[in-house]
Amino acid sequence: MTHSPVPPPAAAPPSLATLAKTTAVSVLVAALLLVTTVLPAEYGIDPLGTGRALGLTDIASPPVAPAAEPPKGAALVPVQNGPLGVYPAAFTFDTYQVALGPYEYVEYKYRLEKDATLLYSWSASAPVLHDMHGERAEVTDGVPPEQSFDKQNRREASGSHGSLVAPFAGIHGWYWENPGGETIIIRLTSAGYYTSAVEIRSDRSRRTRELRSLDALPLFAPPAGPGGQP
Amino acid sequence: MTNDALRRARGRRSLTTLLLLIVACALAGGVLGAHGVSSKDARYLQSIDGPAVVPLLYLGAKHMVTGYDHLLFLVGVIFFLYRLKDILLYVSLFTIGHSLTLLGGALGGIRANAYLIDAVIGLSIVYKAFENMGGFKAIGIQPNTRAAVLVFGLVHGFGLATKLQEYALSRNGLVTNIVSFNAGVEVGQFLALTAVLLALGYWRTRSGYLRHAYVANAALMTAGFLLAGYQLTGFFTTP
Repeated sequence: MTHSPVPPPAAAPPSLATLAKTTAVSVLVAALLLVTTVLPAEYGIDPLGTGRALGLTDIASPPVAPAAEPPKGAALVPVQNGPLGVYPAAFTFDTYQVALGPYEYVEYKYRLEKDATLLYSWSASAPVLHDMHGERAEVTDGVPPEQSFDKQNRREASGSHGSLVAPFAGIHGWYWENPGGETIIIRLTSAGYYTSAVEIRSDRSRRTRELRSLDALPLFAPPAGPGGQP
Repeated sequence: MTNDALRRARGRRSLTTLLLLIVACALAGGVLGAHGVSSKDARYLQSIDGPAVVPLLYLGAKHMVTGYDHLLFLVGVIFFLYRLKDILLYVSLFTIGHSLTLLGGALGGIRANAYLIDAVIGLSIVYKAFENMGGFKAIGIQPNTRAAVLVFGLVHGFGLATKLQEYALSRNGLVTNIVSFNAGVEVGQFLALTAVLLALGYWRTRSGYLRHAYVANAALMTAGFLLAGYQLTGFFTTP
């Protein structure tokens, strides 16, 4: 820094005409770049049509690719198509109810592929300690096998409503613990792209529940035929 | 070659330099993305709960080194500063302004529209380039340069404070974290300044420096206008 050359004699200020010309050119060049490239690319504002011609407007609103159909019978991994995630089969609906005796705990977790969605609501008859977390299906060196999704894990609450996009393939769900001496009932309702759930109890018993997708459930009565004939 | 031809050749070269600088600015803009905090960093910021000195230092330094609007302004400020004493004075003024509003704004919960702040930052680059071009001398006014640098320091810091508040930062360890972030910004500024000084120092040894100085500042001004236009459009079109 100390080796900067000696300051040169100050240059004479430019004439007013030069200055005006330079400023005008500067504004013009900036406006031209702004209108032809920056605005189309950043905001999709394209008054001259240059953004479309140069393919810049696509940056502002990425085109939606034609939907790739996921193969039937494939794992429940979404094919992302803009804001849509498309799955090879219908989602699954599940309800789970458990009574936790004094100081007992339970874990209930769904098997989700990476990026698969889960919607849930649960409530407890009294505040319980809980931690929503995921456990990786494949353990690799250097990566923790479990990850808590809640910033303040293991806090007390008597319910929660939410959604989860699985950050990795594995089992994702809850740890619930009864912190007191009274029995607490927990009720969970969920829908999502899973096919099984695992329940782990205080006595270390581990039970896997196979869950059927909505496709396999008789939800609707047979439709009425034309003219109201069944 | 006649004098006239020589002048024309020189003019062409200046034009090439100008275009190259503009292209470089535009590329930097596209690659770095003005002043924002990348989405992964944003998620990290929201996840911290308690003091995290080193990560915040890092993010502050990263913000400064990759924030091309800061860098352009810095180039403008030290373009004609030769003595270490002057460089230190101006950079300190900027740092004082920057720190005051970053700490005060982020801790006091004061914020402004980010687009407007960024537009003012763009105009601060225009101002500095215009001054370097001898514009104020030519029109016969001389604003207080030191006060201007301090004021722009205040604006730059306020912009950052506004952006930090868009992330719901946990109250736990907030003061430590914001002070760390600010310290990181200064570390980043020091690193950026070193790089800018090295580049300018090399350029100053070349015979073309003074001749191209005017054009280079015109390019800087163009980049400032571009940035201001970009941000103002965002202000008027974003609901």
